[in-house]
Amino acid sequence: MTNNNKSGASVFQVAKAVISAFMGIRKKSDLENDAANLTPAQVIIGGIIGAILFVVTILFIVNIIVD
Amino acid sequence: MAAVHGDVHDHGHDDHHPTGISRWLTTTNHKDIGTMYLWFSLAMFFTGGFLAMGIRAELFQPGIQILEPELFNSFTTLHGLIMVFGAIMPAFVGFANWQVPMMIGAPDMAFARMNLWSFWLLPIAATLLVSSFFVPGGAAAGGWTFYPPLSTQGGLGVDMMIFAVHILGASSIMGAINIITTILNMRAPGMKLMDMPLFVWTWLITAYLLVLVMPVLAGTVTMLLTDRHFGTSFFNAAGGGDPVLFQHIFWFFGHPEVYIMILPSFGIVSEVIPTFSRKPLFGYSSMVYATASIAILSCVVWAHHMFTAGMPTVAQLFFMYATMLIAVPTGVKVFNWTATMWQGAMSFETPMLFAIGFIFLFVIGGFSGVICAIVPIDIQVQDTYYVIAHFHYVLVSGSLFALFAGAYYWIPKWTGRMYDEKLGKLHFWLSMIFFNLTFFVQHFLGLAGMPRRIPDYALQFADFNMISSIGAFGFGLSQVLFVYIMIKTIRSGEKAPEKPWDGATTLEWTHLPTPAPYHSFEKPPVFKPTVH
Repeated sequence: MTNNNKSGASVFQVAKAVISAFMGIRKKSDLENDAANLTPAQVIIGGIIGAILFVVTILFIVNIIVD
Repeated sequence: MAAVHGDVHDHGHDDHHPTGISRWLTTTNHKDIGTMYLWFSLAMFFTGGFLAMGIRAELFQPGIQILEPELFNSFTTLHGLIMVFGAIMPAFVGFANWQVPMMIGAPDMAFARMNLWSFWLLPIAATLLVSSFFVPGGAAAGGWTFYPPLSTQGGLGVDMMIFAVHILGASSIMGAINIITTILNMRAPGMKLMDMPLFVWTWLITAYLLVLVMPVLAGTVTMLLTDRHFGTSFFNAAGGGDPVLFQHIFWFFGHPEVYIMILPSFGIVSEVIPTFSRKPLFGYSSMVYATASIAILSCVVWAHHMFTAGMPTVAQLFFMYATMLIAVPTGVKVFNWTATMWQGAMSFETPMLFAIGFIFLFVIGGFSGVICAIVPIDIQVQDTYYVIAHFHYVLVSGSLFALFAGAYYWIPKWTGRMYDEKLGKLHFWLSMIFFNLTFFVQHFLGLAGMPRRIPDYALQFADFNMISSIGAFGFGLSQVLFVYIMIKTIRSGEKAPEKPWDGATTLEWTHLPTPAPYHSFEKPPVFKPTVH
């Protein structure tokens, strides 16, 4: 059921996958690439880091506005 | 999504199971348990609906006519609790029980006995909730959100509600664990995660949300219970606690809860629209990603429910921006459904009508949600009928319409009989018209300043309230028609063809006979993925 032969992807590729996931948009060829290379651990860690970055970014913007 | 591969299995050989009442008490079959979930949620839908009729009857004209104010408050409180925890959530679990194993080619749910246990907890909780009307002091009356100090003051009815919420939470967590385990471990050989039907995907993500937030709710009501009876002061300012803490914890559960009630709807609609457009779902992977994204974002927007409770400007802006951003992945979904229909060979059977009705009305609810997300506007409309209108557009024409779409779509597979198409369409149009008559005018009432949860109101709100009540009575009666259609289908509906929907591509339509046999996929099907 799961593919154990994944080589793992670069940080950049994980970041791209996570950002497009947050937007909800992904090109089909990129998706196939992700499916071939990304491991579940990479996606989960990437997603958590993405969520933290999302919160920190909004907080940063909000603080600039309020100041 | 899946290409037919291999023959339909011979399923008729061991359909032996207990009959009569013992079948339902002892069954571990996912289809039986799914059926019980669905009938239970229908019964609760009418119980909650009865309370709604009481509310609208009282609000038909100004003054107190039918319900004393205290009883009116109990009606609004129990209407919310019963609809959320008794009708909508169990209905989706019922769909998951029937559909998830069949759609992934599994023989049953992973934990069959736990599945039965999580169902039988529900009638116990429902009995507690409904019988609380008849105990001294009456049912809980502090609103479905049971904010303290109101909920620390009520009588026995509040304790019964707290216990009911505990039980319902336990049931939901067990159901969610079951669904996660089934999906992750029991898919047909060859079916990767990205090959799963969207309904399965949305339920997988919903189940994770349930596991994440239901314990938070359990913790909240336990703190409430200890505040009430064991001398703690978590939410009591006099003892050094803070009632606003309750709101934060409650809404940390409450907002993901909104998505728990809408993500499986997205899943159902994502099955129905491609089938009746005779095209694969547009942007399958985007849909999966958007669902995951919505689930994550749903955990960082909770305080938009409490802008008027008092919080720093930084927090107000943070929650406002985060809330508005959640519209992005939701918008992606709406565009994808629309693009799926674009240039499709569309037909408009009842499930498709409800799915299109869902998109149309859910977008209205979504937009009024973005309006409520804007802090200065929310401060004006907080606790008014505008908010009532907003969340009924999301939960009635969102969740409920999707449930209707799913019921009409899968009833031929479940029973082997077709529903009456003319009556189904009549049900759709009556629901559509009366729903809008009930809730659209409530936007005007809210903008004019009518507060929610009041049994009496000022004269200037009279006309719109009368219109809304007429719409509500019509909507309520229309749902009796739904029950008639379903019973007629089960008892005397025409025999359904093997594959009534020519555009359907998921395993339950391509690999199983109609009606689905009592035991399906004892041997896993050979699944061959095709292009999404």
